Amino acid sequence: MKKISLASVLLLIAALMLSSVSLAAEPIKFGAVNPLGDITGFQTTRAMELAVKEINEAGGLLGRPVELIVVDDEMRPEIGAAAIDRLATVDNVDFFVGGMGSGVHLAQVPALKKYEKITVWMGAASHQVEIAMGPDADWYFHLHPWDYQQGASYGQGWTDIANAHPEIGASRIFLAYEEGAFGTDSYLAYLDLYEAAKDGEGPYGQILNDFAGASFTSALLGGGDYRAMLRQAMDFDPDLFIWAGYDADAVPMVAQAMELGFEPPLFVGAPPGWPANFGDNPLSDGVILYGMWAPALKEVSEISNHFWNEYIKMHGHEPATYFAPLGYTNIMFLAEAIKAAGTLEKDAVIEALRTIEYESPIGAVLKIEPSNIISNQGFTSQKILQYIDGEQHVIWPFEYATSEIKYPFGR
Amino acid sequence: MLAAASKKQYLFIALLVIAAIVIGFWEPHALIYGIQRGSLYAVIALPLALILGILGVLNLAHGEFLTVGMYATFVLFSRFGVDPMVSTVPVTLLLAVVGVAVYLLTIKHVLKAGHLSQLLITFGISLVISELIKSIYTTQPRGVFTTYSYSSTTLAGIRFGTYEFLYLLIAVAVLVGLQLFLKKTRLGQATFAVGQNPRGASIVGINVSFVYLFVFGLSIAIVGLASVFMVPRVSIFPGAGTPYTMKSFALTAMAGLGNLNGILLAGIALGIFEAVVNAIPGGSGWSDVVFFGVLILVIMTRAIREGRR
Repeated sequence: MKKISLASVLLLIAALMLSSVSLAAEPIKFGAVNPLGDITGFQTTRAMELAVKEINEAGGLLGRPVELIVVDDEMRPEIGAAAIDRLATVDNVDFFVGGMGSGVHLAQVPALKKYEKITVWMGAASHQVEIAMGPDADWYFHLHPWDYQQGASYGQGWTDIANAHPEIGASRIFLAYEEGAFGTDSYLAYLDLYEAAKDGEGPYGQILNDFAGASFTSALLGGGDYRAMLRQAMDFDPDLFIWAGYDADAVPMVAQAMELGFEPPLFVGAPPGWPANFGDNPLSDGVILYGMWAPALKEVSEISNHFWNEYIKMHGHEPATYFAPLGYTNIMFLAEAIKAAGTLEKDAVIEALRTIEYESPIGAVLKIEPSNIISNQGFTSQKILQYIDGEQHVIWPFEYATSEIKYPFGR
Repeated sequence: MLAAASKKQYLFIALLVIAAIVIGFWEPHALIYGIQRGSLYAVIALPLALILGILGVLNLAHGEFLTVGMYATFVLFSRFGVDPMVSTVPVTLLLAVVGVAVYLLTIKHVLKAGHLSQLLITFGISLVISELIKSIYTTQPRGVFTTYSYSSTTLAGIRFGTYEFLYLLIAVAVLVGLQLFLKKTRLGQATFAVGQNPRGASIVGINVSFVYLFVFGLSIAIVGLASVFMVPRVSIFPGAGTPYTMKSFALTAMAGLGNLNGILLAGIALGIFEAVVNAIPGGSGWSDVVFFGVLILVIMTRAIREGRR
């Protein structure tokens, strides 16, 4: 009897020890909602997996491994909103991360407000999201620059470029915009910037003298014939031609411009993503684009180089969209804050997120500051990039430039 | 259900020519773009009209077959360096095989099941094709760039692209080929008979099932042919062909069921309308309104006239 009792006690102690070990090893759960069928969401998820792998290989966080749970939003608002509920109630995640489209994210805002978990959201640039989130969500951190911040940063970029290169002007801007919400919002934003510039104010105050725009039907929505719009642009004779459409418009747009003999000095594309291997197309040479990252950053940034090499080593393909390094940043930034806080306690992590600085492979230091409405905004500007000899280069900001601007556009 | 050209059609041609001359003086680019795009719409709409006229099936997967042809051309170009013009034969044949397979596996079984079942099954096929393409190639657009597809010329001070005139040539070639096939070959005459009266055709010994199979395969092959010539000018993505289903249906409805000649004319007319609207600053957003507005007007006018008889 004594022997049995002793064995029972030993077993009980062993079981308790094992259980405490298992409790200690309980993973910290990051719940991501990404559009897996789209390259942005696909590569974001792969980059997040890389970040989680590196964190776990370095011993995890607070002695616990990190687990990434990804739900596909299928780019549909109702599925994106349901994904938040599922991650909160079924998977019991500790943090929300990820996200791309503003439309999907707008639908997620009520669910996020319901749970009030710390959320570090990487995408969704529309200011409508900021309005929906409101000023009181201290647990909400937004990494992607808002649309108005992007517009301001381009103005700053062109002003800097014009100051550095007197031969480059951007005093006449023509905006070709797709007729949906994305393009129309861009046009309205440029109209506001132009009105401010007339009084010498705003980000274009020093450079913009004349502005015009014309809409087109995106190839994504059944269009794809831009010739009438391009002829209007030719008649305007801009220094800077910008088109705000989708990736499906990229090649036909520049090709039809070539067909018409339209070669503005600066030819800028501002779609959310670019077609596969656009750089391989001879027409890409000299095309300027706006984005947060370019592969060439690996030449000037150690962390970008590390991300580039490790991503390819893990997944066997190159990151092709800035959402990949942004996804990596999303996880690493949160992980650094948890480390700095030394606890998962909400207030401590929020405080850490607000105070740490993270050198991101995006090619910028991530630091939280207030934006127009929310108090926790991350990046505030985009970069001006250019396809040169088949490769995307950073031409502004100058501190991250990987090449001089190729000017003028044309062949 | 395949009608010959009528007096009304000649009147329509005369009106179209007058409108074209007026537009040509006012905005010559709109006339050129309209003829080019309208011809493309027509060449894509012809096979849809053929299936609708003979089988009585509105193929909602029409645009997705176009997408399949685009991806096939893209694969031949990117993997094997085959120029799109050289891809014409293999892609057309491939699409014919795809059409035959889809017919045997699905369409054949719903021919007698009513229009709703036919619509649903072709809608299902469109979703399956689209999702399959997404899972293989993602949504990121692909492209096949050739310098000749963006070559241009200047005539009387007007610079314009020349490649899209191929669409007009192909539309005319397909139309003439179909008319010759329907009138001059035994299989074509059998097809015509099946289109007019399938039961009667069956009674006189025509193999109606084979005619249906042949027409579906031929139609999807024509879609493949159109896709090859489109590829150098468009972005290739899973939804690239989808909008052409409704445009094709619009042309078929406007021309009248079975009126193949009318489809080319309707295509050019609507193409010019669209180009004129696009040429007006701020008009781009109205092109679909005009496209489908004209369609509604034509169908209503026809219905009112028929109601008076």
